[in-house]
Amino acid sequence: MSEQDLAKDLGPLAALTIGVGTMIGAGIFVLPRQAITQAGSFAVVSFLLGGGIALLTALSASELGTAMPRSGGAYYYVNHALGPLFGSIAGWANWLGLAFASAFYMFGFGQYIGNIVGMPDAFVLGPFVVSSVKLVALAGAALFVAVNYVGAKETGRLQNVIVVLLVAILAVFTVFGALEAETANLPPSEGFGPMLTTTGIIFVSYLGFVQITSVAEEIKDPGRNLPRAVIGSVLLVTVIYALVLVAMSAAVDPGFIASLADDEIAVVEVAGLLMGPIGAAALLFGGLLATASSANASILASSRINFAMGRDNIVTPSLNEIHPRFSTPYRSIAVTGLLILAFIAAGTVEALATMGSVLHLIIYGLLNVALIVMREADPADYDPDFEVPLYPFTPILGMLTSFALIAFISEVIIALSVALVAGAVLWYFLYARSRTDKQGILGQYVLSRADEMPDAAVSAASGVQPDGGDYRVVVPLANPETETDLISLGAAAAKANGGRVVALHIVQVPDQTNLGYARDNLDEFTDAAESEQLLADAKTDAEDFGVPVETHTILSHRSFAEVFDAAETHGADMLVMGWGGDSHGSPGRAESAVDEVAGDLPYDVLVMKDRGFDPSRIVLPTAGGPDTDLGAAVARYLRDQYGSEVTLLHVADDREEGEAFLAEWAADRDLADAEMRVETGDVEAAIATAAADATMLVVGATERGLLRRLVSGSLVLDVIDQVECSVVLAEKERSKSVIERLLG
Amino acid sequence: MGDLLDRVVLPFASEDDARATCDAVLPYIVDAGGEVVAVHVIEKAGGGIDKAGVEQREAYAEDIFTVVSDACADAGVTCETAVVFATDVADGVFDAARDHDASAVAFTPRQGNRWLDLLIGDNTRDLVKGADLPVVAFPRVDGDDVAADDQATGEGGSDE
Repeated sequence: MSEQDLAKDLGPLAALTIGVGTMIGAGIFVLPRQAITQAGSFAVVSFLLGGGIALLTALSASELGTAMPRSGGAYYYVNHALGPLFGSIAGWANWLGLAFASAFYMFGFGQYIGNIVGMPDAFVLGPFVVSSVKLVALAGAALFVAVNYVGAKETGRLQNVIVVLLVAILAVFTVFGALEAETANLPPSEGFGPMLTTTGIIFVSYLGFVQITSVAEEIKDPGRNLPRAVIGSVLLVTVIYALVLVAMSAAVDPGFIASLADDEIAVVEVAGLLMGPIGAAALLFGGLLATASSANASILASSRINFAMGRDNIVTPSLNEIHPRFSTPYRSIAVTGLLILAFIAAGTVEALATMGSVLHLIIYGLLNVALIVMREADPADYDPDFEVPLYPFTPILGMLTSFALIAFISEVIIALSVALVAGAVLWYFLYARSRTDKQGILGQYVLSRADEMPDAAVSAASGVQPDGGDYRVVVPLANPETETDLISLGAAAAKANGGRVVALHIVQVPDQTNLGYARDNLDEFTDAAESEQLLADAKTDAEDFGVPVETHTILSHRSFAEVFDAAETHGADMLVMGWGGDSHGSPGRAESAVDEVAGDLPYDVLVMKDRGFDPSRIVLPTAGGPDTDLGAAVARYLRDQYGSEVTLLHVADDREEGEAFLAEWAADRDLADAEMRVETGDVEAAIATAAADATMLVVGATERGLLRRLVSGSLVLDVIDQVECSVVLAEKERSKSVIERLLG
Repeated sequence: MGDLLDRVVLPFASEDDARATCDAVLPYIVDAGGEVVAVHVIEKAGGGIDKAGVEQREAYAEDIFTVVSDACADAGVTCETAVVFATDVADGVFDAARDHDASAVAFTPRQGNRWLDLLIGDNTRDLVKGADLPVVAFPRVDGDDVAADDQATGEGGSDE
């Protein structure tokens, strides 16, 4: 078997059971009683209608899934098609919707446990009275979250067994029901209004199919198996729901369901009546398995959604850190777990079910819109194996019915959902927009046809575009003498990446002085005119390169350490700073801060020992490694900007091997036109010799922690002080940010 | 035994594991003039939902390999990387060793915890027990001197 086959190990049955397993737990084991009491004989219609709406969206989800079999499913498609504003809505709705649904499943789980064990109605915990169902639900949720936190590959496979078992139990149940069914038993219908309201509540039974798409990348032959699993699971559960509902309403006396005591579970009592105690036990057991497997699959699916959101920087990628021992996305699972526990503690069965329904209906509506956008914009790489029949009617109907069903859900829940959507929109503008760089197909489509499109659409599209894609080179300035040189270096990097320069002047303010006071009385702390002049010069210099530039004066009690904070605050992709003398205040005092930064660098760093900016002849020593890659990039930027002659230097034991390595290394980094120089012997001596007739030496940090050693004066490369040209030290970013380390 | 460290498969579970293992093992490989095949095994459920998505695990493997490539570049050791999918971590390591014609598998035991081992499986034990080529356990370097005298080797039947 190839690696690909091993990575994609979900066969058609496994994919189907993810959908069926997530859906069946909720629907049939918890909700029939409510449905029958509220809608009468139309309860069956409610389930059929819910299935119909789900099916329309399942078709769209299948097409999108075969075109983009990526982790994250629905969120990914919406974000990809409609852009990160809607992506933010879909991601949050999907994540929270799954948490609400899981809380609801756990309520069901609590009812089943209560029914088996027999418990008092409520417990008194200090000042609180907690119903026993809630208590078991909380314990159950904690258990399933813990299992997934630690991770057990067995749970995944267990799901298949559970689902097959459930379908078998329910099949037997419906056969018995059919034998006893009499139309005379059917309760009267309660009319269309209650039927639609009921559909809104029971729609939580149809959330599972979209979870299949969130593991689409793991499905074998997704072009074939994904649509089968998605559509098949909706059809299968719809049929099962309808048959069970028919059995429950037609096989027992009309008043039977309504006459049950509060702690009795309708489906279990009916089974007891039809099949005796064994039947009741089977259904009890089934209910336990079903609610548990639904919750389990939902927790796993939500970590995929978190991952996809983090990859697009809609949430912080640190949420998706993998546990070093368990290999699980433990933070994501823990946060989802806390949400589930909070929702159980705060909610009621009905509120949780309808919250889960509404949030998913929003996603389903957006999914259909995403499909229409993909079809209309028709990007070159959009090539689905499965196509929605009767386009555009199917997705339009899917969108309308999904959004319309929301209207029949209670106003409080709608208000809460609207608040969550508004929250997601705010989240996009306040948090995600400056970080994400992914532009939706819709935005690209509208903006690329700006002339033909209505002005309102164009301005709306450009108004919500992400700006995280902007490559930002932060250049802190202190010394007017080196300003032009630093800006020249920074501008070359910015230009090569289509980005901008952010010039900062950091003014140190004594600890005892309030920063607000300092801002109003800037002259007391620095020569304000000089500061202004420094930034103005920087602006002119950068503009000479045709690079956009912004300037900021930053007041801080610290000076050196502030450089790193400011770089982080200004979303730096690269930090260009001077070194030596008094470039940035007294480094000695800032060592601890640098310690913090140097362990993990959230951006690339270039440190220039400035002996005059002359990039005409550059020497770049290399032994491979990511920092030298950054050095290579810098050499390339300068070559492209200034036509620099680049000399690559490699020190090897064996000259021939060294030459082979260097030639390949250079070719991979678009530096094949550089002069290759392979030396043997002492590295530092070789660098010194090569640098003798160069104007600039670009050195990748050979080890991590360059910055720390630079500041503490323990940098081993004495050669940097010996050479006479300017030296640029390059240290590549490492993914963890300061925030991530605080959380970790 | 001179060939033992010619081409060594190093399985890495995490970035920290990669740092510790590289610190402990690379000096020996440098001495032996050997090369490294860095392996990260992605444990698959084999037909169920995995504990983390494949794309997510692949991204994690990249992070680990960055650490390893860095360390190998610093030490001047040639390094190949391989992501392996397997339902059992130890099996995956040995599959990779065979595919890459490795001379041995080397690792540093991680801090053990019997309860955790029971819960999530003891990969150290599986590695040694399921061996079909030499498995070398290197002592951890805890920040200071490299203990050069304390090599534990466990040998299984050679595979080819």
